[in-house]
Amino acid sequence: MIPRDRALSLLSPIALLLAWEGAVALGWLNRIFYPPPSEVLVTLADLAASGQLARDVGISLLRVIAGFLLGAVPAIAIGILMGIAAPVRAAVRPLAAAIYPIPKIALLPLIIVSLGIGEASKIATIAVSVFFLVVLNVAASVMQVDPRAFEVARSFGARARELFWTVALPGSMPGIMASIKLGVGYALTLIVGIEFVGANDGIGRLIWQSYEVYAIDRMVAALIAVALIGWLATVALDEAEYVLVPWQATSVRIRETRMQHYARTWWRAMRPWSYTAAIVPVLLGSGIAAAAGTVDLWLLLLTLIGSVAIQGGTNLVNDYYDYQKGTDQPGSIGTGDALLQGALTPRQVLIGGIAAFGVGASIGLYLVSVSGPLILWIGIISVAVGFFYTAGPFALAYHGLGELAVFIFMGPMIVVGAYYVQRRDAPLGVILAALPVGLLVAAILHANNLRDLDGDRRSGKRTLATILGREGARIELYALLIGAYVALVALVAAGVAPWPTLLGLLTLPVAVRLMRIAAAESEPGRLQPIVPLAAQLHLQTGVLMVAGWLLALVLPRT
Amino acid sequence: MRAGTISVTDLQVTFRSRQGSVAALAQLTLHVRAGELACIVGPSGCGKTTLLRVLAGLQTADAGQAHVQATDPARPTTGMVFQNGGVFPWYTVAENVGYGLQMRGFTPAQRAPLVRRWLAEIGLERFATAYPAQLSGGMLQRVGLARAFAYDPAVLLMDEPFAALDAQNRLLLQQTLLRQWEGDGRTVLFVTHGIDEALTLGDRVYVMSARPGRIIATVDVPFERPRDAAALRSDPRFGALYGEIWSVLRDEVARARTAELAEAGV
Repeated sequence: MIPRDRALSLLSPIALLLAWEGAVALGWLNRIFYPPPSEVLVTLADLAASGQLARDVGISLLRVIAGFLLGAVPAIAIGILMGIAAPVRAAVRPLAAAIYPIPKIALLPLIIVSLGIGEASKIATIAVSVFFLVVLNVAASVMQVDPRAFEVARSFGARARELFWTVALPGSMPGIMASIKLGVGYALTLIVGIEFVGANDGIGRLIWQSYEVYAIDRMVAALIAVALIGWLATVALDEAEYVLVPWQATSVRIRETRMQHYARTWWRAMRPWSYTAAIVPVLLGSGIAAAAGTVDLWLLLLTLIGSVAIQGGTNLVNDYYDYQKGTDQPGSIGTGDALLQGALTPRQVLIGGIAAFGVGASIGLYLVSVSGPLILWIGIISVAVGFFYTAGPFALAYHGLGELAVFIFMGPMIVVGAYYVQRRDAPLGVILAALPVGLLVAAILHANNLRDLDGDRRSGKRTLATILGREGARIELYALLIGAYVALVALVAAGVAPWPTLLGLLTLPVAVRLMRIAAAESEPGRLQPIVPLAAQLHLQTGVLMVAGWLLALVLPRT
Repeated sequence: MRAGTISVTDLQVTFRSRQGSVAALAQLTLHVRAGELACIVGPSGCGKTTLLRVLAGLQTADAGQAHVQATDPARPTTGMVFQNGGVFPWYTVAENVGYGLQMRGFTPAQRAPLVRRWLAEIGLERFATAYPAQLSGGMLQRVGLARAFAYDPAVLLMDEPFAALDAQNRLLLQQTLLRQWEGDGRTVLFVTHGIDEALTLGDRVYVMSARPGRIIATVDVPFERPRDAAALRSDPRFGALYGEIWSVLRDEVARARTAELAEAGV
């Protein structure tokens, strides 16, 4: 943009706001119906300061995310099946096509009749709407994959399985991504409407309530917040597109501003894909709390952010100390890339890590004020362990204590914390119920250490793997994995966990695959798959267990 | 010995649709010796691509035989280079080059050195992590070529691989192909509609008839190897052979045109 155009694009909104302000001041516009921008700004600041804005935005976002995931995940799976298998298409398409044109908000009363007026009906309405929108679009995009690409793959001997993974799936990814964007847009539209009708909180409720008392300034402030949610969604989706469809995003990336580049660098440095380790235990603790009564979504959201912030801080601080101690060398697999590639200075990384701990600590203090002192202790110890994991004279990770620390703090500790935030209680049952997740999160770390065994030995890093040796380390991995499943079954047998949590056993094939690779390989490049597999195992087993706890609410007990 | 042989006898392929059936290939017979670079020229729509697809196992024949004989069971029998490169847009250049090896069950660690070698061979090392959208047509074609060579088949099937390129790029790629082929003596069946391209590359040129396609002439190309694709054009024998092939092909091209017009209902 040339300077003149840039100035114009800045001036036009300012001019509009000034004209509005002036018109109200001169009495041309009624202040009650058209509150001036200055007044809206003050209201917005008040709403933000009181915490109400963050609360309503957070709750709406959580509903959107939950409803979207519940609708989009099965929709993508079924849509892909429809795209590649004509019988599935023939069976599903008439149903989907018939239900698709119904404005889904019209289904809300019907859903309330069956699920009640609580969270379930709101989330289900979004899920249903997103499902039908996404399923048809995904099916169409799978069918539009260039048939010549299949031909090329077949000429290199690809069979059905390879055709799916190397052609059908990546080829339809741009279309799937477009469907996801559509679905998110739709979910955002819906949530406001849903909250108009039957909600005690959320951004839609804030708008409607403001209307009922004629607080137009508050209504406009809430509209600005809705716009903010939309903007956040766009940013998140762009990032997702960059990860999922990198071959399309390349053109976008060239136009990236310095600010965007900076934000992206930080985002990468915090290793967002490791956050499932922080998210799963919070979901489990909250799920158990839900099974025992109700869940406050706002507190759940805060617990999630706090947990992720501490995890992000731990990642950054560890990258800093690993870099300082020379454990991570250029060329080592899966480490603090931003530092090794010189995108961020060590100092920046350390400050960023401490800032993330700060965010986690602030949220923690708020949670202490609404729940109780146990959170304070959990918070303090978690930050300390996170910090001294690789820092200080007695770095836990370099004395073979990494797995134990991770097991305790990313297992029972967070699960109990998340439960305590909701129920102000920490029963023994919850600690025990966290065992499978704790063992699996320790397995992620141990998979890392097993892969890096030789490198760590050379640099003198004492992990449990280097201490036990290759054979011992393998046995430790088996013990962690098998232990998780034994614990899962034992918990149900002992009556601590409800029987639907046995859903977690569905991930056994992944565990078997992981153990097979660990048994057969010892070279880091070939062992690499065990790390993402372990993370996948933790995420899937954890989510299935949460689903089990929630299912226990509706299914008969045995 | 890594080269395979091709023997095709009385091959017949007919396409059936609701509008009726069209004979693509009829009584096609063709033999390519081990280590030979054979070219096929023919009018458009004569079934050249169909022949390659049958040999690659992508298309079944209605009658006759099409065999690719390979002596080394560890290597794939056929690999194909496609008209527009056939490069997967969702994979990086390096991933594309390694695709055939991946399908053969090579692990990433086993693929890496081979991929690096072939990227160097086609001069695209710096583009290893680039996506095809960032590449020019000539570069994409080089990726398709490297992918097929890295796959290391006993017989390489090439379907008008350079047709969509400009003249200079085509010349450069012909030289790349000659250099590779002269180095490893692989059996190649190269389909083109350019007589000059067939004479530049081939040991032997097969001329195909208009649809239904069959071989109507076989021309041995006497130029010694290694060849220089650019210098060949000034050889007087080049012009003579060109004229010989064209005199056979001319009538077929005319026949193909008439058939096209008839199909279009004119």
